[in-house]
Amino acid sequence: MSKQEKTFHSKLNRRRLLQGLGGAGIAGLAGCSGGGGGDATTEAEETTEGQQTTESQETTTESGGPSGRLRIALVKSPIEFDPIVLNDVPSTQVVDRVVEGLYGYDESTGVVPQLAAGEPEISNEGTRYVVEIHEDATFSNGDPVTASDVKYSYEAPVDEQTENASELNMVDTVSVVDEKTVQFDLKYPFAAFKNTLAWYVVPESVREEDKQAFNTGGNLVGSGPFTFEEWQEGQYALVAADEDYWGEPMPNVAEVEFVPVEEATTRVTTLKNGENDIIEEIPPKQYPTVRSISDASIQEVPGIGYFYAAFNCKEGPTADSRVREAIDYAFSMDQAVQNYVEPTGIRQYSPFPASIAEDWEFPVDEWKQIPNDKDIDQTKSLFDEAGVPDDYSFKVIVPPDDKREQIGITISNGIKEAGWDASVQRLDWGAFLDKYVSGSEDDYNIYTLGWSGTPDPDAFTYYLFGRDDATLGVTNGTYYGNNSENGKRVSEKFIEARETPDREQRRQLYIEATTTLLEDRAHLPAYNLKNSFGVKDYVSDFHPHPVDSFHLSTGHNNVSVNKQ
Amino acid sequence: MGRLRYTISRLLQAIPVILGVITITFLLTDAIPGDPVSIMLGPSPSAQQAAAIRAKFGLDQPLHIRYLNYLVDVIQLDLGTSLYYQVPVTEKIAERLPITLYLLLSSFTFALLTAVPLGIISAKRRNTATDHVSRVVALFGVSTPSFWIGLMLIIVFSYWLGYFPATNLILPWTSPSQIDGASTQVDVIVKSIHHLILPTITLGTLQMAAFTRIERSSMLEVLGEEYVKLARAYGVSERTILRKHAFRNAQLPLITLVGLQLTSALGGAVLTETVFSINGMGRLIITAIQNQDFQLVMGTTLVFGLVFVIGVIVTDLSYAYVDPRVSFEDSE
Repeated sequence: MSKQEKTFHSKLNRRRLLQGLGGAGIAGLAGCSGGGGGDATTEAEETTEGQQTTESQETTTESGGPSGRLRIALVKSPIEFDPIVLNDVPSTQVVDRVVEGLYGYDESTGVVPQLAAGEPEISNEGTRYVVEIHEDATFSNGDPVTASDVKYSYEAPVDEQTENASELNMVDTVSVVDEKTVQFDLKYPFAAFKNTLAWYVVPESVREEDKQAFNTGGNLVGSGPFTFEEWQEGQYALVAADEDYWGEPMPNVAEVEFVPVEEATTRVTTLKNGENDIIEEIPPKQYPTVRSISDASIQEVPGIGYFYAAFNCKEGPTADSRVREAIDYAFSMDQAVQNYVEPTGIRQYSPFPASIAEDWEFPVDEWKQIPNDKDIDQTKSLFDEAGVPDDYSFKVIVPPDDKREQIGITISNGIKEAGWDASVQRLDWGAFLDKYVSGSEDDYNIYTLGWSGTPDPDAFTYYLFGRDDATLGVTNGTYYGNNSENGKRVSEKFIEARETPDREQRRQLYIEATTTLLEDRAHLPAYNLKNSFGVKDYVSDFHPHPVDSFHLSTGHNNVSVNKQ
Repeated sequence: MGRLRYTISRLLQAIPVILGVITITFLLTDAIPGDPVSIMLGPSPSAQQAAAIRAKFGLDQPLHIRYLNYLVDVIQLDLGTSLYYQVPVTEKIAERLPITLYLLLSSFTFALLTAVPLGIISAKRRNTATDHVSRVVALFGVSTPSFWIGLMLIIVFSYWLGYFPATNLILPWTSPSQIDGASTQVDVIVKSIHHLILPTITLGTLQMAAFTRIERSSMLEVLGEEYVKLARAYGVSERTILRKHAFRNAQLPLITLVGLQLTSALGGAVLTETVFSINGMGRLIITAIQNQDFQLVMGTTLVFGLVFVIGVIVTDLSYAYVDPRVSFEDSE
């Protein structure tokens, strides 16, 4: 498989390497909660008169039309809005309200029709997908959504070599069958393609007219329940309910404003004093603070992510599975996750996030038994058995994220406790991305990282354990697939699974390969983070989502602001 | 005429300084480990994609060619295109610089308005309780990181008391139609000041502390001069001595410090803007560094350098207004 064929087919979190998640604030409000305040709603009305302020947030009227403004504090500012080119989470969080795909996600990880009229017809041994577009589907400018628009939307990222091109590289051709029917032919059977069908559909004529304006929102047009209204980079992005929305339901809320507030303490403060109605990403130390806000609560759902410690299986002592097992004995991952991640995340025992593991009925209880309890004597004994020199110094590299650094430090401390030297290097992303795939013992023995993707097992296996040109030394820094017969078999099973249309066969392949890699300790699975939000009580029917971060107005929820 | 020639001469002297800033920033930025294309495209861009991005931003050129190209562009006031924002760097700077200058202006105003009286009172009442309090406040100010002050102010005045907003700085020149609850420009200005109070105190505390210390010591020195003693001997009142004889002469060191404090203020602006979500140059440079956006890092650093150089020149020029003994002719 060539580099061109690797895929990144997630609509959200397309930066698979989890860079942004888990960043803690400069300082916590922990311990400061419970003071002063009075009625927060009143305070908010008195103290927030910023640009596009909450003063316009009135109670949703009973006349039936959309009303009120919802303010959501994001961690970062969106920077562009053309779905063909955008590649960052905040931009996606805005664009998801405006632009739809053929399919979308239900309240969990199920794929359901959005612009599509029904399920795709799959043929040619899983290489052909034919999708019929809903008869009534229109863009917000009134133009019908056509098969030609779909074809354009799937071809443009590749034709224009945008940052998203690799997400659609498994598509060989897209053909217009008729105005409302589109056919996808794949280069190979790709079992997770239904997730790729959640890719955005944009109107070809509008985008082609002025791509720059499409990207800055000036003429961004989609078929979603909201229309794009206004954007001030770094300050806010505003979308409004489309009263002519072709689908259902009509949004309850008239406007949604996305405001970037990077500093966690400040973000929590804006929830307390009513500057914002919803805030995202609550750091662990601030859970008690948010919980103590009398008119707000935390809403959360485990995301589609996987955080782990991984070994350099190419060079150095960690290429030996006995050394990897020894390091597993040197510390308790359960304890580390409990200390540094909870309650903002949960322990994970395999590469698969809980929702995927549940959906695929993977033997999680069995995998839960694989990690060793801490036993330093076993570490010493296995190190000696493997012949690790007494003066060997292990190198652990971690990205610039506190939680992953703490996991690295815990591992390092365990190794030191056994009598060997170890050091932890926290690197900037640029340096980390260069180093963690080099396979050189001089760069690392162990690294900690995170991964995100579509809700399919393929997203968490192929890229991390593959042994082809597209993965080895590109996204797979362990080189496990090249390290041993076990590694090779695991890698081949994962590749076979992604090209196998039959779900049960895939499931078996994933179970076999995952059990082997866990027993071989190529990775030590650590945790998964929750998509967490602080939400004011007057906001109802807000829905945190494992894949899409959150849903506002969909078939299963419709958020409204009932501020008195 | 002398003043004009002096100004021109100082501006010319600033050219090698700016060239030095460009060169050092360029080399340091290039030396940062990591590949900006990796950060931009994620963990596994195709070779074709990566090559296209490198070619688009000239990253495929050797270092010396990129440097020379950059110098030529800077001379033409073209600071390149931001890798992260994909817009001209000058556009982003033009958008953000006024916000930071507004914050700097307010913090320096706050610092001077509090530091000068505090320094004078402290000097006048040397070794009294007032002096001790003033010195402790100054010591606290110079030794406390501005982000900590900002967070504490947010926790107390925004989170607990709800007196001030924690984010969403309003600019005084914003149209009233864009601000809810504002019908006139005066309303906008009032709201702007309300939003600006906490960031101003956060950023201004460090300057205030430094100014207080220099004002106090300078005033003490002047009050010990022979001509002050003579004035006292003649029976001139303390108030007149302070106002007419000591005050003006004690301001030269303060003026020097105001210029020099610009660097620390610009550094403090980075933290203050982050804490209060203010969309100025500070946040811009942080974003640029985090994303290894070379062009933006160089552009913002260059502008910071320019602001500092201009600040120093203005400081030098202002000497003559305060102290008639300073002659621009002499300095040439």
